[in-house]
Amino acid sequence: MAEFACRLKKYRQLKDLTQEQLAAQVGVRRETIMRLEKALYNPSLKLAIDISRAVEAPIEEIFIFD
Amino acid sequence: MKKNQVKIWVVCGISCVAAVLLSVWYAVTFNDSRLVAPMDFGSYSFNTKDLPMILSISLTCVYALSLFVQLFISIGKSKRNIAKTNMTRKVNPKLGFLGLLGFLGLAGFWTYSAMGAVFPFVFFLFFGFFGFFYEGKMSGIFMDERFRENAARAQLNTYKITFNITLIALVILCQGRLFGSLEYTLIATIIVLSLTLALGIFLPEYLLYRYDHDDKTEEGGE
Repeated sequence: MAEFACRLKKYRQLKDLTQEQLAAQVGVRRETIMRLEKALYNPSLKLAIDISRAVEAPIEEIFIFD
Repeated sequence: MKKNQVKIWVVCGISCVAAVLLSVWYAVTFNDSRLVAPMDFGSYSFNTKDLPMILSISLTCVYALSLFVQLFISIGKSKRNIAKTNMTRKVNPKLGFLGLLGFLGLAGFWTYSAMGAVFPFVFFLFFGFFGFFYEGKMSGIFMDERFRENAARAQLNTYKITFNITLIALVILCQGRLFGSLEYTLIATIIVLSLTLALGIFLPEYLLYRYDHDDKTEEGGE
């Protein structure tokens, strides 16, 4: 799996969303959001864009690949 | 299938078994055990006293056939439902105990020594039902992209493992006589293939569960 850093937790908290709410918005399970925040799951482009739209932050700010 | 429908099917099944038992009793008591004891069907001529036996067996055959059709319809409905709702099918983890039926395969050692029959070794296949333990734990959950990715990974790894086992076993077994007997080679082949297929049924569910409940992450949310 590609190494990357994820700032999703920060942006999610800024939007005042719980993991459950964000998961429902982007159509995944809460566990997936949890693993995304710990950078243990590399999302598909569609999911990354959906998350970026949900938290209203640029995609490259949320997922940082070296 | 709804509970009421299941009840109707169970009642029908019990009625069929009761009808067969009654007709067997009738045939043994009043019909010289015709159609119960082995007989030559080449010279069979119809007798009105055979009617209960013929009717009960026909009824049981119709029941078995309709049960089979119903099973296919239910599987089709379940698949359409899964595609529509994106949720995994609901399975009771207790069904995993059906895997214990795999021990029936050990009966093959007895049947082989007693009557030379090797088919019971195929029952080792039932060990695959242990997979229901894990499928049950993952039943009724939403199938998101991570789930589908893990399912594909589990299936792929299972194919790799079972293919390698089959290949190695066949290379070894095809060398010729095992313990100096071709029959032992056949038995070993049946056992290895049955166990490999059982592994092929069990492993995708187990691996999917392991991938989904990755040890590296602690469960917890906000």
